[in-house]
Amino acid sequence: MILPMNLDPTLTVLMYSSLAAMTAVIGVLPQAVRGAPSPHAIGWANALAAGLMMGVAYTLLTAGLADRLAQGGVGAVLGILFVRGTHAATGTGELDLTRLHEAGPVYGYKVLLADTLHAAHEGIAIGAAMSLSLPLGISMAVALAVHNVPEAMVLGRVLLGQGTGVGQAAGLAVATNINQVLLAVVTFAVITAAPAMLPWVIGFTVGALLYLVLVELLPEAYRQAGHTSIALVTVVAMGMVVLLSGLGL
Amino acid sequence: MSDVTLVFLFALATAVATGLGALPFLFVRSVSDRVVAYSNAVAAGLMLGASFGLVAEGTVHGRVPTVVGGLVGVLFILATQRYLDRDEEEVVFEAVRGDSGRQMLLMVIVMTVHSFSEGVAVGVSFGGGLTLATVITIAIAIHNVPEGVAISAVLRPQGVSTARCAGWSIFSSLPQPLMAVPAFLFVETFRAVLPYGLGFAAGAMVYMVLVELLPEAFHQGRRPAVATLASVAAIGMVLFQAWL
Repeated sequence: MILPMNLDPTLTVLMYSSLAAMTAVIGVLPQAVRGAPSPHAIGWANALAAGLMMGVAYTLLTAGLADRLAQGGVGAVLGILFVRGTHAATGTGELDLTRLHEAGPVYGYKVLLADTLHAAHEGIAIGAAMSLSLPLGISMAVALAVHNVPEAMVLGRVLLGQGTGVGQAAGLAVATNINQVLLAVVTFAVITAAPAMLPWVIGFTVGALLYLVLVELLPEAYRQAGHTSIALVTVVAMGMVVLLSGLGL
Repeated sequence: MSDVTLVFLFALATAVATGLGALPFLFVRSVSDRVVAYSNAVAAGLMLGASFGLVAEGTVHGRVPTVVGGLVGVLFILATQRYLDRDEEEVVFEAVRGDSGRQMLLMVIVMTVHSFSEGVAVGVSFGGGLTLATVITIAIAIHNVPEGVAISAVLRPQGVSTARCAGWSIFSSLPQPLMAVPAFLFVETFRAVLPYGLGFAAGAMVYMVLVELLPEAFHQGRRPAVATLASVAAIGMVLFQAWL
């Protein structure tokens, strides 16, 4: 079941990226029963996602570039500039995602925008990893599925706080990830058609992922749950990816 | 000259090269909170990139041992931190007291400990025959320079002189010649230990980055600048090592 060998590759990408997009529901629904999530829970979920993403970045960087280092390097710079640029253009660069109780409409709009923009390079990441190998693609999808949970926790909290219904909040949280599914499939299709693009796309993905982890996931997590526990969760998650990537590459 | 002397001298040369990493800091004069933050970000990126390289090499020799070694490396830093925190007397490193002094001392410990594994790696690779020795030596010497940059980036902004930064950088690499010789003489034994050692070094460095350097950088610096410096340094380090 984990490795559906008979499924068409494009459908496989579609399936895993859709599953990753839908985990946003897990971040929203429990809040209907249990109320606001604790900052610690969000912090640890962020750290878990950060560790998984850095683990996948490691695998992509050391296994995916072969000898085309220059393309990878230029791609990485483009990836960093892309995320930096989208943050700067939308004023979401130093968005503090811990202000769950004093959220105004502008804040809610920025969280929605930030989540939607992230989904773009996250989709590219799934597509790129899938075109290297299926297990690597699945690791990538799992990392992003985990990442989507704390993202949706914050968005869900803001929306529920403003009186949005639970169903609608969950729907919106999933909707911010739709371009993740689209770009995963498109990226996979483009690399399949033009394999020469691969080092560029891998470089872009690694740059975007590392920058995102460093600019957002880790600094937020540190504030939500303290240095030691965040560092431990992150490093253990990285170790898990290193162990698992041995199964497929 | 005997092979053993040659291995020792080659490894010593790579250790001395680490001191070159202090040179860029001749030009760092103003010592502000921002300089501390951004230097920490660069050091964090370089160490993260270096540990990617260590893990990649370790997994060639054994994936599970590398990860086990990494876990032990994390525990080692945790224990060292506890020990330094519990110490009755305040930590003083190069006349810097308190948290900064403690962090500087921890940095020198981490980088020195990680050099033991690198020394083993050098010795084992020489064990394949000395024909490639010059090439390997030059590659490792160049590879050590950014590690000197990482150490100096943490020490220099606290007011440590460039010469002393170079001194501590070289000190941190001295385990390389010391470990290279026994690893060269007993290749088979050390080859078995190598993945554990490489994993240990990577785990210790990554944990140091996550628990000390990055939080410190975020505390004083702007997030986009810290993230850009660290991610460029990390990716640059990996590509640089792959190119070597």
